[in-house]
Amino acid sequence: MDSEDDMHDANSVDDDYYSGDTAADYCSDDDCGDYEFMDHDFEDPHDIVAKHQQKNYVVLNEADIRQRQEDDITTVSTVLSIPRVAASILLCHYHWSVSNVHEAWFADEDRIRKTVGLLERPVQFSNAKLLTCGICFESYPLDRISTAACGHPFCSTCWKSYMRTSIDGGPGCLMLRCPDPSCSAAVGQDMISRLASDDDKGKYARYLLRSYIEDNRKTKWCPAPGCEYAVEFVVGSGGYDVACSCSYGFCWNCTEEAHRPVDCSTVAKWIMKNSAESENMNWILANSKPCPKCKRPIEKNQGCMHMTCTPPCKFEFCWLCLGAWTDHGERTGGFYACNRYEAAKQEGAYDETERRREMAKNSLERYTHYYERWATNQSSRQKALADLQQMQNVHLEKLSDRQSQPESQLKFIIEAWLQIVECRRVLKWTYAYGYYLSEDEHAKRQFFEYLQGEAEAGLERLHQCAEKDLQNYLTAEPPPNDFNDFRTKLAGLTSVTRNYFENLVRALENGLSDVDTRGGCSNTAASSKGGAGGKGKSGRGKAASKTGGPNDDSQRQIASLFLFVLPLGWLLLQKL
Amino acid sequence: MANSNLPRRIIKETQRLLSEPAPGISASPSEENMRYFNVMILGPSQSPYEGGVFKLELFLPEEYPMAAPKVRFLTKIYHPNIDKLGRICLDILKDKWSPALQIRTVLLSIQALLSAPNPDDPLSENIAKHWKTNEAEAVETAKEWTRLYASGA
Repeated sequence: MDSEDDMHDANSVDDDYYSGDTAADYCSDDDCGDYEFMDHDFEDPHDIVAKHQQKNYVVLNEADIRQRQEDDITTVSTVLSIPRVAASILLCHYHWSVSNVHEAWFADEDRIRKTVGLLERPVQFSNAKLLTCGICFESYPLDRISTAACGHPFCSTCWKSYMRTSIDGGPGCLMLRCPDPSCSAAVGQDMISRLASDDDKGKYARYLLRSYIEDNRKTKWCPAPGCEYAVEFVVGSGGYDVACSCSYGFCWNCTEEAHRPVDCSTVAKWIMKNSAESENMNWILANSKPCPKCKRPIEKNQGCMHMTCTPPCKFEFCWLCLGAWTDHGERTGGFYACNRYEAAKQEGAYDETERRREMAKNSLERYTHYYERWATNQSSRQKALADLQQMQNVHLEKLSDRQSQPESQLKFIIEAWLQIVECRRVLKWTYAYGYYLSEDEHAKRQFFEYLQGEAEAGLERLHQCAEKDLQNYLTAEPPPNDFNDFRTKLAGLTSVTRNYFENLVRALENGLSDVDTRGGCSNTAASSKGGAGGKGKSGRGKAASKTGGPNDDSQRQIASLFLFVLPLGWLLLQKL
Repeated sequence: MANSNLPRRIIKETQRLLSEPAPGISASPSEENMRYFNVMILGPSQSPYEGGVFKLELFLPEEYPMAAPKVRFLTKIYHPNIDKLGRICLDILKDKWSPALQIRTVLLSIQALLSAPNPDDPLSENIAKHWKTNEAEAVETAKEWTRLYASGA
């Protein structure tokens, strides 16, 4: 267990330097989940997403869902002493909340029976040998006639097509009633099983299962394409990021991909912006001018100022002043200048439109800056995921042979890759965060960019080491014999990078309030170092939100923060 | 022709419509297409449509009775739940349709709609507004239209 000891060492060093704040965090919030995480099998890449919180969700496969649904039906059926079908109908009406069913039922059973369509009076069958179907008006012997609890008679054929029509209409079929318009008797799964076609029975069962997830306040389907797992979430228990067993990580609240530490509304804005037509408009505004004659937008990507619009317009004009080209020539400055434009500009004639174009261009450039970095980290993460797979499936075995080490001793490599994947995700979202961080909040922006920069640099080092350095040990002949040094380096980098990112995440999650409350921070740091353990953290969190210090000495605060973080890097470098 | 395999239910309904018509309503199938009915509804007494004879068309789609019949006014009518193309806003013709309903019940419901316009669930926004702001005047217009368009039949 060399590697893990190393990791623990590295961690504890950081923790001391991290003012004990970090250490306190681990133990109070996660029940030391971080350390548990290290001892896991690294089969599940999603653990890394979950590691920040105690798992407040459960991933359900179809069998689990069925089991839970059956259990809930059993509970209601037992407690209310009603048949299972009736219990299922009731649960459907109450969005699968057992407690709501109980509450409503015991408050006013009669009313509930009426609204849901569970009639209490047993059916009075007439003594007639033949009954007329209320749909096809044919007479049938009793064995061809079926009724819901109300006793309205319909023949099997008509029931079958009635059910088909309803099931084809969608999940509304779960609330099916007797066809008689004046009757509200419920038609449950027992009748469906008896009377519908096999195909329809299957569809109905599917809707019933889906309803259990979709109508339930506590469960959602995993949004990954083709994934059939659902996730049950303990509402009100903090972080929304969940990791499905299909390895897709998503936000349970907004069902976008996992985006901690950025909040759902920022993500929604950002995604909207990325897809919005408005950005296209912005681009057109910034990079094109309308043809002065036909008004079609024209992008000038090269060449001289003499423009000719595309047919059928074919208007020839000057790009700069937008005047007809016939007014131009040698005397206006030739093909690459336009002194009509220069003169008019001097008089301020073009200011308004020019200024708008300039603004659009600036805002577009700013957006492009963040978008590119967001997208790059996204693709970098995809690549890292693929590398991780490759490492698990192919390289690990090879490396184990070449270095004569059991695979269990190489976990640190997988862990490094998991860290890279997670960091790429966080880093990606910090660019969405950065885009919406107000330009006016100078201190916050500086602090954010500092944290982001440090985290990014750390990640690049780690990524480099895991990607390039490792190649040596996989391919070089003979295998280098300094593998233990490599282990120390990679494990160290993994740990440093994790700390950088945890810092970043925490800072963003409390709205970068640390720049205002530097004093409170160091105080608690001291106290938790002194053995206060888990209590330090919660105290600090509150202090941070209460005391919003004045902004004017934020510069000094940042400076001291820098001094505070730097020795950590130093120490690690020496250690490596 | 499609008439050859007409469901027994439609034949039965048609026979009954012809043999015992509902008061104030007549419906007879077209000779070319037994699923297409020419309908006449008399304006109910004590309604602005009293004295009018309103022509409608009714069509039974392939899925009938699992799907509702398609009905529309051919005679121009001033009514908040009927638009200028004659389309009718009536729940049983849409989501409240049940296969246990019939042509007869549909036509009786339309007749009832003439007696009791429902401006809160309008199809024609303007007429509904008129009805709600100045009912007396709207009723006058409805009477006027009845005289103008529904008296000649």
